[in-house]
Amino acid sequence: MSYSAEISRVNPSCFLFLIDQSGSMEDPFGGGESTRKKADAVADAINKLLQNLVIKCAKSEGVRDYYQTGVIGYGERVGPAFSGALAGRDMVPISDIASTPARIEERAKKVDDGAGGLAEQKVKFPIWFDAVAKNGTPMCQALTQAKGILSAWIAQHPSSFPPIVINITDGESTDGDPTGVARELTNLATNDGNVLLFNLHCSSRGNAAVEYPSTERELPDEFSQLLYSISSELPSYMRNIAAQEGKNVSEGARGFVFNADLVSVIQFLDIGTRPNNLR
Amino acid sequence: MHIHAQPFWVQKFGNSREEYEDAHWPRRRIDRKASHFRFAVADGATETSFSALWARLLIWAYQRADLPAEDVSHALSGYQKMWSDHVGKKPLPWFAEEKVRQGAFSSILGLSLSETSESTARGDWQSIAVGDSCLCQVRNDSLVASFPLESAAEFNSRPTLLSSNPQVRVEESQIQERKGEWESGDSFFLMTDALACWFLEASVRDERPWEILCGFDGQGEPDAFSEWVQQLRQGGAMKNDDVTLVRITVE
Repeated sequence: MSYSAEISRVNPSCFLFLIDQSGSMEDPFGGGESTRKKADAVADAINKLLQNLVIKCAKSEGVRDYYQTGVIGYGERVGPAFSGALAGRDMVPISDIASTPARIEERAKKVDDGAGGLAEQKVKFPIWFDAVAKNGTPMCQALTQAKGILSAWIAQHPSSFPPIVINITDGESTDGDPTGVARELTNLATNDGNVLLFNLHCSSRGNAAVEYPSTERELPDEFSQLLYSISSELPSYMRNIAAQEGKNVSEGARGFVFNADLVSVIQFLDIGTRPNNLR
Repeated sequence: MHIHAQPFWVQKFGNSREEYEDAHWPRRRIDRKASHFRFAVADGATETSFSALWARLLIWAYQRADLPAEDVSHALSGYQKMWSDHVGKKPLPWFAEEKVRQGAFSSILGLSLSETSESTARGDWQSIAVGDSCLCQVRNDSLVASFPLESAAEFNSRPTLLSSNPQVRVEESQIQERKGEWESGDSFFLMTDALACWFLEASVRDERPWEILCGFDGQGEPDAFSEWVQQLRQGGAMKNDDVTLVRITVE
């Protein structure tokens, strides 16, 4: 059965994030009156994903290396995109990610006050990746580089849970149609299944957010439709966990979201018992 | 009544013994007369931190008769404070702080045996359960009760659990209670989920899993129980998880 390999310290899996750093990311995010740039939304998205991945692997004694993680930026150049002490590294154990953010900011978070209302709480928000927006969108080059990194990773980890690639972009590839290279990437496989490619489309359009669609009908433009078409289907075990988490994810749903966050993908991963009342 | 009880446990394969996150009561073998006795197992959730401590606190609360089903939330508050005081003793890195904010989670399964007639050696049992740790009662070579889950199909990796975070309430419907009667010679098996799931599957296949579990004596290093669990894991017949059993026979 595919996608059933245990994720453990002796048999870790891998996350590779591809981050659009093109000039178009200077444009406002989400339409309407928003003055927030897409590049800032993308930086928040990747930092939040890394934060959630670290927290998922954190135990009393420290962070367990269930994952190796890389961040490839694509814009003015294509290559490793960590800020701070991790700059220049492509694959990093998750415990190193945990211990080496470039800096830690404080942000306000609304939390349940236990009396039916919301209270504001200060939380730490680690930053590994800063917003960048320059030049074109060489998505094909980024996918090609991902293919090279993951071919080597799979050769070293042939029985691991397959790598997950998360591409965060506004969708407008400037170095050609990414369909072919995306297919080559998702044709890579461990004994447990093919590489999964999930896409987060961060758009200037004000359309409603879309999460894990199983058809392209409700997607607003050709860019989102293209990204949907190259996204992997969610494996059935992820759909089962999504259903246990109360999410409506139908058969054939793909790992694609439009102007929404992909943090739930991390909740769909099984590294052991996760209480269903944990929020 | 005369109680023979023995706990068995083995940590998840790939983890160290210090990373075992279940808890059980009694801690060691007992073989003695009593008119009343409490047993428990708890299973700290992998994806939360400091859950072994929380599982141990829940066991302690139960064996002190301090976890009444009708008022679990109120009863937990003192233990939640103990957990919070303990984990807050020293500064923590950012990710551990976030885990502490979320809280630890654990199942609890408690069994209380009482004697109603000394002359005929029979009595009552009461159990409380939150989560997917299970008890099975065996009489005359038959499974006569299974609580709170009754089939292997009911297990998943997302149970509702008790939290050390006071903001996380458990609905009353998730706190389950069962009462029953025991007779001399009955056996009870208190199990965390991986073993309970195997037990219920084997029962359906008429394999009398209780006979296998009654064959272990806890001797040797590694003991036969640990080796047997590891064989089942390698064969795919048992999930790789912490495994705990409290085996009880009452006469």
